[in-house]
Amino acid sequence: MTEVPAAERALRRSGVWMAVALLLVAGVYVRALAFTPEEATQGLAQKIFYIHAPSAWVAFLACGIVGVCSLLYLFLKDARLDLLAASSAEVGTVFLTTVLVTGPIWGKTIWGAWWTWDARLTLTLFLWFICLGYLVLRTAVDEPGRRARYSAVLGILGALLVPFIHISVLLFRTLHPKPVVLQTSRPQLPGSMLLTLLLSFTVFTVFFVALLVRRYAWARLRDARAQSAADSPDASR
Amino acid sequence: MPPANGGYMIAAYVAAAVIYLAYSAWLFWRSRSR
Amino acid sequence: MASPLAQAWAIAAKDLRLEFRSRTAFLSALVFTALVLAIFNFARDPTAVATIDLAPSILWITFSFAGVLALNRAFSLEKENRTIDGLLLSPASRTALFLGKTAANLVFVGAVEAIALPLFALFFNVPLLGVLPPLLLVIALATVGFVTVGTLMSSMAVNTRFGEMMLLVLVLPFLVTPVSAAASMSAKIFAARPFAEWAPWLKLLTAYDITFFVICTLVFETTVEE
Repeated sequence: MTEVPAAERALRRSGVWMAVALLLVAGVYVRALAFTPEEATQGLAQKIFYIHAPSAWVAFLACGIVGVCSLLYLFLKDARLDLLAASSAEVGTVFLTTVLVTGPIWGKTIWGAWWTWDARLTLTLFLWFICLGYLVLRTAVDEPGRRARYSAVLGILGALLVPFIHISVLLFRTLHPKPVVLQTSRPQLPGSMLLTLLLSFTVFTVFFVALLVRRYAWARLRDARAQSAADSPDASR
Repeated sequence: MPPANGGYMIAAYVAAAVIYLAYSAWLFWRSRSR
Repeated sequence: MASPLAQAWAIAAKDLRLEFRSRTAFLSALVFTALVLAIFNFARDPTAVATIDLAPSILWITFSFAGVLALNRAFSLEKENRTIDGLLLSPASRTALFLGKTAANLVFVGAVEAIALPLFALFFNVPLLGVLPPLLLVIALATVGFVTVGTLMSSMAVNTRFGEMMLLVLVLPFLVTPVSAAASMSAKIFAARPFAEWAPWLKLLTAYDITFFVICTLVFETTVEE
């Protein structure tokens, strides 16, 4: 178990990460809004892409981390893996929420509908449900060991479910006529737009890591404090 | 002539900023208050 | 020492015997199913949509909800008198325990479905007799899928706060594949479409059943270890 002072230092260090990452995100905002040309067919709404697509990538990355940490936890039984999975699930839920909010705003102006049961959209929605279920499950179990085991089981099953939901939605869609608007192919991005998109992907990944580190450091400190509070009556340390 | 949909863009950017800032603030708040 | 399958059977038989004595869970699940079917009749506009178009949705919403509600029974029963400790101390392996619980749930849900299906045909005028064999196959595969995942989830949900609500939150995302596959296949079957049109769904559902049966059996151990 980490000592409280060490955990506090780690938390302070994570604050620096957070500050840098937030500044970088602000930079992406400036670059995307002010210094990237307007796309000809989609207009300004195309710029939603610069925050939507990187958020989606990060959200899927976060869910992947939950799945991997869950699987490893069952073998290694290391509490840190459980904390990392929990942190990743929480941060991932935040990014999924952004994806689910910005996606329909873009869809409304380009597709003409706030929501379509498009394959990726549906998958994101169900990932969101699974993540919420994961977080809710964690609040409903008090005993740490049991909470970790249950969460790991749900993490693994959830990760396995993703491809099945994806195929289900694809099969479901082939049985129904596709909305015409969906068939417009992805626009070819010219250089400066591509640069903005790549920059945004990088910055959002850094932002995700910063949030994850912060959330993880907080969880470590919380557990270290709980541990030292439990130990203090014995005055053993 | 590209479609005039700047309002949607602003809405999406503001919504994303609100979500991310709110979560960041929550993270800081949680670790301050014991 | 009995083989794992014999142990599993002993556990399933014990559960079913208990259920047969009181019949509370079975009867309430049955009444619930019949009520949902009856309420569905009033939750649609009979002049706008033909019943046969809605029939697969009605069937699968009813079956899956009745199934999930029934899943609570398996472990809450053991929790009540802490008999789960006895089961865990017994020489039966954890795998046998999971298989036994799953088998009992399958029989239970299957029995509810066996009574609900004719009721569904009666209420919604669906001609079942001609399409019974493929429909039964679809029902069996979908039921195995969600009962397997549901049994595992209920072994965890029983130890959480608001366990019954928690079970719903945990299981419902896992119903997407069985329910969409079963409803799509049922629609094709009712419409007498050729097998080739619903074969992809059949493959997907079979893959789902196998994947989750294997993984749930493997991880069950970790949900009951103390």
